[in-house]
Amino acid sequence: MKLKGIKKREPMQLRPESLSALVGSSGRWFVHSSFCLMLILLLLVSPLFFLVEIAQAGAPVDADSGQVLVLRGARILTSANQDYEQGTIVIKGGKIYEIGIDPQIPAGAEVIDVTGCLITPGLIDAHSHLGLGPSGGVTEDNEMSDPVTPQLRIIDSIHPEGLAPDKNQFRQAVAEGVTTAVVRPGSGNVIGGQSAVLKLRGGTVDNMCILFPADMKMALGRKAAYAQKGQMPMTKMGTAFLVRQAMLEAADYRAALDRYENEKKNNPATATTPPPHDLKKEAMLLVLDRKIPVHIHVDQADDIMTAVRLAKEFSFSKLSLAHAEESYKVADELAREKVTVVVGPRMIVYDDDNRPVNLADYLHRQGVEICIMTDADVVQQPFLRSQAAIAVKYGLEPEEALRAITINPARLMGLEKSLGSLEPGKDADLVVWSGDLFDVRQEALRVFIDGVEVYRSPRVDGELKK
Amino acid sequence: MSKTGKGHTDHESNRVTQKQKMNQEKIEVERDWTSLSIKMDTKIKTKIKMKVTKVSAKARAEAKRSIAGENRGRKESGQVGRGASRDEGQLQSAVKLKFKVQPFLKRAAKSAGALAFWPMVLAVSFSLATRAGWPGPTLLGLLNPELQAAPTAGRSFGPQVEKPKLLVIKAGRILTMIGPPIEQGVIIVEGDKIKAVGKDLAIPEGAEIIDEPEGWVLPGLIDVHSSLGLVDERGQSENEELSEPNVAQLDVLDGFYPFDRRIVQVRTSGITAALICPGRRSVIGGQAAVVRLKGQTVDEMKILAPAGVKFSIGEGPKQAFGSKGRLPSTRMGNIYVIRQALLEAREYAGQWAAYNESLAAARKEKRSAATIQPPRRDLKLEALAKVVRGELPAFIECYRIDDISGAIRLVDEFKLKAVFMGCAEGYLVAGEISKRGIPVIVGPMGIGPKRTETENVEISNAARLHKAGVKIALQSETQYGLAALEELPLVAALAVRGGLGEEEALKAITINAAEIIGAGDKLGSLEPGKLADLVIFSGHPLDYRTRVKKVIMGT
Repeated sequence: MKLKGIKKREPMQLRPESLSALVGSSGRWFVHSSFCLMLILLLLVSPLFFLVEIAQAGAPVDADSGQVLVLRGARILTSANQDYEQGTIVIKGGKIYEIGIDPQIPAGAEVIDVTGCLITPGLIDAHSHLGLGPSGGVTEDNEMSDPVTPQLRIIDSIHPEGLAPDKNQFRQAVAEGVTTAVVRPGSGNVIGGQSAVLKLRGGTVDNMCILFPADMKMALGRKAAYAQKGQMPMTKMGTAFLVRQAMLEAADYRAALDRYENEKKNNPATATTPPPHDLKKEAMLLVLDRKIPVHIHVDQADDIMTAVRLAKEFSFSKLSLAHAEESYKVADELAREKVTVVVGPRMIVYDDDNRPVNLADYLHRQGVEICIMTDADVVQQPFLRSQAAIAVKYGLEPEEALRAITINPARLMGLEKSLGSLEPGKDADLVVWSGDLFDVRQEALRVFIDGVEVYRSPRVDGELKK
Repeated sequence: MSKTGKGHTDHESNRVTQKQKMNQEKIEVERDWTSLSIKMDTKIKTKIKMKVTKVSAKARAEAKRSIAGENRGRKESGQVGRGASRDEGQLQSAVKLKFKVQPFLKRAAKSAGALAFWPMVLAVSFSLATRAGWPGPTLLGLLNPELQAAPTAGRSFGPQVEKPKLLVIKAGRILTMIGPPIEQGVIIVEGDKIKAVGKDLAIPEGAEIIDEPEGWVLPGLIDVHSSLGLVDERGQSENEELSEPNVAQLDVLDGFYPFDRRIVQVRTSGITAALICPGRRSVIGGQAAVVRLKGQTVDEMKILAPAGVKFSIGEGPKQAFGSKGRLPSTRMGNIYVIRQALLEAREYAGQWAAYNESLAAARKEKRSAATIQPPRRDLKLEALAKVVRGELPAFIECYRIDDISGAIRLVDEFKLKAVFMGCAEGYLVAGEISKRGIPVIVGPMGIGPKRTETENVEISNAARLHKAGVKIALQSETQYGLAALEELPLVAALAVRGGLGEEEALKAITINAAEIIGAGDKLGSLEPGKLADLVIFSGHPLDYRTRVKKVIMGT
């Protein structure tokens, strides 16, 4: 599990280019002619890294240095097993240290009384296009020159603050309690590219990115853009074929790589040259080798089943669907195949008899794991909790709605060990709300990411002055 | 059924299944009837006349009952979501009456002979049928089962004449929107109108009673900026005639499709009326209309038409025409198109005024008016003349401060009776808008994608405009849950978050909305004489947990 190692790295070391090289084409790294030289360099430099890491890791753990933060007295919805009517959270070194009714408060800790407020985990949007430009104009999320572009990396497109007219997208998202977003390529292409998980702090994409590549974004049944040009795909069959072909090409590439590796191992003297670099195929190898899951944009029931068929055919490590407006027609199949559905931005759909279906609620009750999304900026990123509120209004249990914007997306991305709920040892990403999370009349008072306050409502200081 | 889950609002589905059940029953009864008819024929052959009459009478009564059932299912129910079961009694009594008449018929058959009998049966049953309120074609259907079996898909034939019926709604809390809330109050509805609202009212005899001790009753919500019936679910649009920037002559009623699926959808969220507007890409888009979301033809549905003329300045027309290299491709161009049109309209209005004056003078002096020629009619200028004369409001869609200022200049110059729509940066010029008494339909709140002109949208916009003394209404956000339901209460809740009082926010989607679009005499509050369109909520309307329990539109 190389991926886990990656996400634990310190932000300063996280260089997506090299990461992808490690994950995707690790074999060929070592055959470079300058390998020896690099090794020597690395050996020379590594003690420095070591020192830096110790310094970084050492500082926040020190309980006496005033870096312990305690939030006391709030109602706490943890998204985990136990909630607290009046609880206290101790944050140490950017992690949740303890949580309970009356935990021991270390001496010298900064204690904030938040009695009467509500604390939830930071919200996670499982499907967003944050920082990719306006929907109206030319966006940065669809490379419409080719329907198959798995080689594209979404982090190369993200503006870390937001593009006009959404210049303050990130800031506004944080102010409404969104602390993490899965940012994905658009759905214009059949294979759109590689998604990333961002924590909304740090100022640069590289600082924000906590997981890359997070998954492969695809879209089935969408053919209009290329049909206009008279180019494949002009049918739904065409979209499925393109996925299949890309997977098979990756399989061929894998075979060629393996052949070369074998040859090199067995007959180093006569070893031929490795197969040439092909970023497209290398990217698809991540899917083929089950290193990253697949996330597919679908609308209609037939496309949904095509996605399920492809997932079985190529044994995707995990399949999740976005939008899936007709998923209520095949909910039992999705439950059986353990497909996660990311519901939104349309929360209520109408069946053939024009009766409303609360998609999130219905799928949940059929045993399908759900996440709720904004598809920002189709619905703007700050309105993630209003999206969930609509599902609650029409029947979804509030507890499940909270899970659908916290722990479920974390689990979907394989980050449930550090994100998504308030439990000791997890990242201290949390929000202090003035009241009910789903009541849009209430606001976020304080937002913390990794234990650092990244937003404070003007109301907080106003009340302190009183 | 099971597939839709508890998430959907149950009443619609109830209606559908009820209808299906009735159809099923109808088909079964009809089958029986056909077989009976065959039996009847063989029995005629054996010449046992009395038995034949009995069988046919029974069969007819049964068939008629079944059609009554079909009629019930088919009829667009006044109360959305409630089976219209109250005419059952009436129909049953009609059937009973027929049985009473039967001995007389038998005697008549005996005396007048077989030849005279059949036309009489027909005549009697026709008169009974029409008296009971059955429309003629239904009777034809009775005579021809195949015609009746044809699917009519919810459209009923012919006029349905009904006596006004009484409906009593008892509710935990009634927000009339013109006075303090009434706790444990009563609303009496007669036909399409509200008869009385109050506490401890005498319950009239024979009235149907809806008791919602926990429910909150509000007037039906009004969406003041809607494209219902013009743009369907798949985005097929009838709201933008982009052949030229000024199409004031167009009337939205001519493009309105009453069976737009979205109408049923928005009704389930409590919206009972809407201002249907042309889109924002024409500079002068046409005439808007206020429509009640109940009925099958636009004439049945219209409440106020035309309600005003729709103008739009800003990015919309600039992009639509500028991209084709046509006027207007700038903001100056937008305003110029309007100024030119209004000047022409003013001239046109003057011509007609002069003509009417000379006519009146001729009549007064009792001389022939034959020589006085009327000005040539121009539909475009006719619509705009009404705006220039102040007979119709100008609905001006403008978002950015420069566009709002431009609109204000036009209002001053032509003394327009204006309503501003959008006004995303309205908070920057709230004082200027307030000074002129221009009401504002506020939106968007910033939920959907931003355009260059809604870049600086603020959630506090509505509150700040209200504070400056501007009368405001809130429009639905189609982007909320992506038009999942056009959720006015959630939009109102957002406005409250922005600083607007709760009462004011509710007014902005009911009474103020009605008054701003010119339908304040019929909509927007619960008071005697107004349309009986009301919504029963399960609790506080601004609470996200609250659901619409019932939407009532007349009895």
